[in-house]
Amino acid sequence: MSEYLSEEERRAIRESFARLLAKHCTESDVRRLIATPEGYDRDLWRRMADMGVLGLLVDPTYGGSGAGAVELESLMEEAGAALLPGPLLSSGVLGSSLFSACTDDGVRLRLLPGLASGDTIASVALTGDSGTWRPDGVSVDAAPKGDAWLLTGCASFVTWACAADVLLVAARAPDGLGVFLVEDAQSLAGVTALQTHDPTLHLSRVVFKGVDAVRLPGLDESALEQAMNLARIALAGEQAGAARRVLDGTVEYIRTRVQFGRPVGGFQAIKHMAADLLLEVESATSVARQAASAFDEGDADSNELISLAAFACADAFVQTASSAIQMHGGIGFTWDHWAHLYWRRARADAQLFGGADFYRDRYLAAKESRNAK
Amino acid sequence: MQSNDSDDAIDPLRAEVRGWLDEHWDASARKPAHDFGIGWRRLVVDAGWAAPRWPEQWGGRGLSDDDALVVEEEFNRVGAPGCGQDRSHVSANTLLTFGTDTLKHEALFRLIAEEITTCLLYSEPGAGSDLAAVRTRADWNGEHWVIKGHKIWTSGARTAEYGLLLARTDWDRPKHKGLSFFFVPMKQPGIDIKPIHQITGDSHFNEVFLDDVVVPASNLLGELNEGWKVLLVGLAYERLIMGEGIGERKQGSSKDDHNRADLISMARDAGLLKDSVFRRDLAQVLAYRQLNELNVARAKMELGRDKSSPLMSMSKLAMSRILHEEARIMTKMLGAASLLDGEPHEAAADVNYRAANAYMTSIGGGTDQIQRNIIGEQVLGLPREQEADRHIPFRDSRSVTG
Ligand SMILES: Cc1cc2nc3c(=O)[nH]c(=O)nc-3n(C[C@H](O)[C@H](O)[C@H](O)COP(=O)(O)OP(=O)(O)OC[C@H]3O[C@@H](n4cnc5c(N)ncnc54)[C@H](O)[C@@H]3O)c2cc1C
Repeated sequence: MSEYLSEEERRAIRESFARLLAKHCTESDVRRLIATPEGYDRDLWRRMADMGVLGLLVDPTYGGSGAGAVELESLMEEAGAALLPGPLLSSGVLGSSLFSACTDDGVRLRLLPGLASGDTIASVALTGDSGTWRPDGVSVDAAPKGDAWLLTGCASFVTWACAADVLLVAARAPDGLGVFLVEDAQSLAGVTALQTHDPTLHLSRVVFKGVDAVRLPGLDESALEQAMNLARIALAGEQAGAARRVLDGTVEYIRTRVQFGRPVGGFQAIKHMAADLLLEVESATSVARQAASAFDEGDADSNELISLAAFACADAFVQTASSAIQMHGGIGFTWDHWAHLYWRRARADAQLFGGADFYRDRYLAAKESRNAK
Repeated sequence: MQSNDSDDAIDPLRAEVRGWLDEHWDASARKPAHDFGIGWRRLVVDAGWAAPRWPEQWGGRGLSDDDALVVEEEFNRVGAPGCGQDRSHVSANTLLTFGTDTLKHEALFRLIAEEITTCLLYSEPGAGSDLAAVRTRADWNGEHWVIKGHKIWTSGARTAEYGLLLARTDWDRPKHKGLSFFFVPMKQPGIDIKPIHQITGDSHFNEVFLDDVVVPASNLLGELNEGWKVLLVGLAYERLIMGEGIGERKQGSSKDDHNRADLISMARDAGLLKDSVFRRDLAQVLAYRQLNELNVARAKMELGRDKSSPLMSMSKLAMSRILHEEARIMTKMLGAASLLDGEPHEAAADVNYRAANAYMTSIGGGTDQIQRNIIGEQVLGLPREQEADRHIPFRDSRSVTG
């Protein structure tokens, strides 16, 4: 949690972000953006910057608000509810936290203000074709070349690389994993956009054939893990917020859709489904929020909570979005209905940064090791 | 039990089917042995194999269920299509049971030869699960029936020759008792069809607007105001088919003939066959399908024509779970690759399509929730859910009064 923001300021920024999205990120906006090559709204991006959303994690010294995981999680609930498309996770979370952890103040001064103002968009390449998002899944090698480095290999499932001005690449150097900066990402050859199941998510595959890069000092495997943890928390918040919006919309529908002379929500089969989903949604919200605060406090159980959030929120969102289609009947099977947009996002979010089973293992391992102490 | 390969003990019917197939079908090339000048399916119809349970008058051979299954086995053995229409053709079976001779002469043979298709004009915006609440009206003008109304979710409406229509013919009777069932010629003015885009990306289903659509007297199926009875038979056939899992994957994709996912090969390719947790999950998903196949096989044995077997309602519900669960485990096997889609990513496109299309079985043809109600109420004899408007004149029900 941030020492810079009061409780009231935190609530205020969430509320204004929600209002902003209600105005500029409606379902029809999302559908319009899906049809554009860019896939996100630059005007909205600018407004988010003005509101402090993009610089949320950036220290005030570099033009940000210096907030933490708690504020991030809270805003991501709104972003998820609105199905916000765009590089918020890539640039505002992964990019910001990696640059912030870089020990070279020159780099921080040069890049962080742009990230916070929205003028610079960062994308982060973290995994290869295996799509495991684990250190052993990195398949880019970095070789020293004088003061600089040369990258070879391939990264895939790179979020919003197409929108990026700078690309951060996790790569294997002789002394271990490091993070390498490729500037002018727009003129980088070897970037292929991938067709995605979730049309609100843009992914690319990037092939490096000897690309010049700068190594960012201070960014080792543990710094990467820290950044990933923030991304996991952000994603959990997105999932919890999206699941809640889906449930709200579904409850609204079953309250009003009449069959057999009464609202279908009056049938226990449907009513009980809704009740079960509420349990999922509330659990997702609780764990996403608690993981965020444990991270900010540096609690001993923060890794355990982050892993729990990763799979509980993923499963909750998938289950809610899947049941929502069923509970809508025929209308839920149509492209023009919102249910499948959330369902696609749920299925995509459940794969980003590693699947639910990976996090189940990690969760239990964390619990075991605390238990052994 | 007959054995497929002992020639000495073979029964005469099996020998006859085999002989006919030997002469007409090239099993290795999986196509007709010669050009017979007519389509394969018409050839099968003319020979009496398309619907062998049916009476000879209507192109069948009056065979018992057991004998008809012998015919199907022989056709399946050599991969010849066209048989089994007496078991699985929704509109032809409904027509055979309830249609006038005039209409049968007009349509029956063309239907089982698959020269024409039909669509089901049942659901309406206000009447889905509660199908008996339909408000499309059919009025007799002294010469023919005149239809007015709005149907929705009509699969295949654009190509259909006939639509099987549920319409209201008496508004003063309770909802189930004022309905009639028609075979509507679809190629006529007054029918306006608007495609609906589905979550799979396809547009197989449509909205159908009927405005003074004309239907001859001979196209009424069953008695006037007894359409609900006809509908139930049609629905039983539809659910039987869905219970067998037809149309599971995108048309035109590769993979095996039955459009089934080969989960074991996929698991092997994903390197998951040695993971014991995954193996148990996979075993369970495979079991769902096999248990359903056993149920379906038993239902076929027990099923006489135009009688619904409890196993029929069960297998559609089972198939819904099978399709959702298979898509789930396939998504798991693909992992991050399931983030992708489209032609360059065939495996992902296939899995994602299956995951979406599974809802066709859990919603279409009566939702899972409705199937469970039917099983509970009609098979197990449990009390019905309260239905406020079941016994009052339809005119006074909430469907009309709002
Ligand atoms: C792919 C597809 C193809 C289709 N093709 C055709 C077609 O060719 N012709 C045709 O006529 N129709 C077709 N349908 C329509 C289908 O039969 C209906 O969508 C279905 O019966 C549900 O009706 P509905 O959409 O109005 O949902 P609703 O009846 O409004 O149901 C909404 C929700 O309420 C639940 N519900 C409703 N009543 C009860 C109850 N009593 N107890 C418990 N839960 C209840 C349902 O299960 C569902 O979850 C198709 C549908 C799909 C998805």
